[in-house]
Amino acid sequence: MKIVKKNDVIIIIVTIVTAVLGFLMYNLVNSKNTDTKVAVIYYRNDEIKRINLNEGKEYEFSIDGHENVVFKVYEDGAISFIESDCPDKVCINSGKLSMTGQSAACLPNMLFLKIVDEAEQNSDNHDIIV
Amino acid sequence: MGNLPLALFRGDNIKRVIAILLVTVFFLTSCDNNESEYKRYDAQFLEVFDTASTIIGYTKTKEEFEKISQTVYDELKTYHQLFDIYNDYDGINNLKTINDNAGKSPVKVDKKIIEMLKFATELTEKTNGEFNVAFGSVLQIWHQYREHGTDFPEDAKLPNKQELEEANLHTDISKIIIDEENSTVFLQDSLMSLDVGGIAKGYAVEKTAQLLEKEGTESILLNIGGNVRAIGNRANDNTPWRIGLDNPLDKTQIIKTLSISNTSMVTSGDYQRYYTVDGKNYHHIIDKDTLFPSEYYRAVTLVYRDSGMADGLTTYLYNIPFEQGKAFVENLEGAEALWIFDDGSIEYTEGMKKIIIDS
Repeated sequence: MKIVKKNDVIIIIVTIVTAVLGFLMYNLVNSKNTDTKVAVIYYRNDEIKRINLNEGKEYEFSIDGHENVVFKVYEDGAISFIESDCPDKVCINSGKLSMTGQSAACLPNMLFLKIVDEAEQNSDNHDIIV
Repeated sequence: MGNLPLALFRGDNIKRVIAILLVTVFFLTSCDNNESEYKRYDAQFLEVFDTASTIIGYTKTKEEFEKISQTVYDELKTYHQLFDIYNDYDGINNLKTINDNAGKSPVKVDKKIIEMLKFATELTEKTNGEFNVAFGSVLQIWHQYREHGTDFPEDAKLPNKQELEEANLHTDISKIIIDEENSTVFLQDSLMSLDVGGIAKGYAVEKTAQLLEKEGTESILLNIGGNVRAIGNRANDNTPWRIGLDNPLDKTQIIKTLSISNTSMVTSGDYQRYYTVDGKNYHHIIDKDTLFPSEYYRAVTLVYRDSGMADGLTTYLYNIPFEQGKAFVENLEGAEALWIFDDGSIEYTEGMKKIIIDS
């Protein structure tokens, strides 16, 4: 009995080809799906809301218990603070955020907003933007 | 060949097929194994140094990350309370206690305060007296006008020159008397006060990072209100951390991306903390020669190993002309800097080219 049969070679080749095809398909699907950006809002040290930024809709919202602060989501996938009762308005001055790693804070109201990429961390993404 | 598919599933062949499939799959997946060992986690808090803090890290377990995050929070909170010049805390003598007792009596303080003040004094020597933690009397005036101008924008005013000049008579660093043996600090001039805004955060971040390093932390990025400190690389793929720098002229854009590992990065800019008088913005970094906000740059970024040194030096660089600043950085081993001017143009040191990622 030969150690490696002809059929074995075929099985190995078929498996490899299937795996490579599967890998390519997986990557293709993942790369098309780049719209995985999410805005995460924190109050003090805790996450209180996650917002999908890829709906292509423009709207304003507040979070229950924090109605003194208004956020706006834009069609192009950006988000910003647009109203706040804080004195310094640093949050509003931070402008529109859309890139992974960007963040803005409203310290008087203890609110923090940041953009994350929900897909597996891409090494080209910024860890933080300052 | 025609009967291959059937032949594969006959008798003992099945076992053989499964075995070969398993072996093949094992080899195909094994090259992917080292990636899944580390997971990325992050945490935020808003309660220290009146700024937003972010911790990003790669650890093997969530518990490991949470422990690191708790250490960072606890350490920074301790330093924040000790270095606070605005608030009292029960049972703690801090910088406010020292300021309140200026001209009266020495104050017994934690060794951490003594060490930080000694470090600050070194920095004063390094910068030919330009960096000064005894500049509090002048900064206090600006702080009051800025707070008032922020709360009541229609009544925003500038301090008058005379008031600033009088305060500036009480900024002599040699009148900070540090008694290491008794662990006390005494301000000899009753009208002087300490303000460590230009160094406290960075110093605390460095001490915290060194503690983490000692405990064996491998892959953490701290961002404490713009004081960035990297420990190691991103452990999942061993690439350096990527830090985007806001364009001061348009904060929705990134002006440069820097890649860093095992070092600090600090930016001083006019667009972070400011107030507006008659349509003009006045930021918080005050030039000791003019006693007014410095106007050389929109921002200066320094990459340097020690976060405390980087913090103080960035403030210094922000307050001196470009040629002088460039010469200073070139003479400082391991330091690289980037300057952004009013018109958005950029200058940087030679070594910064290796840190900037072109994309």
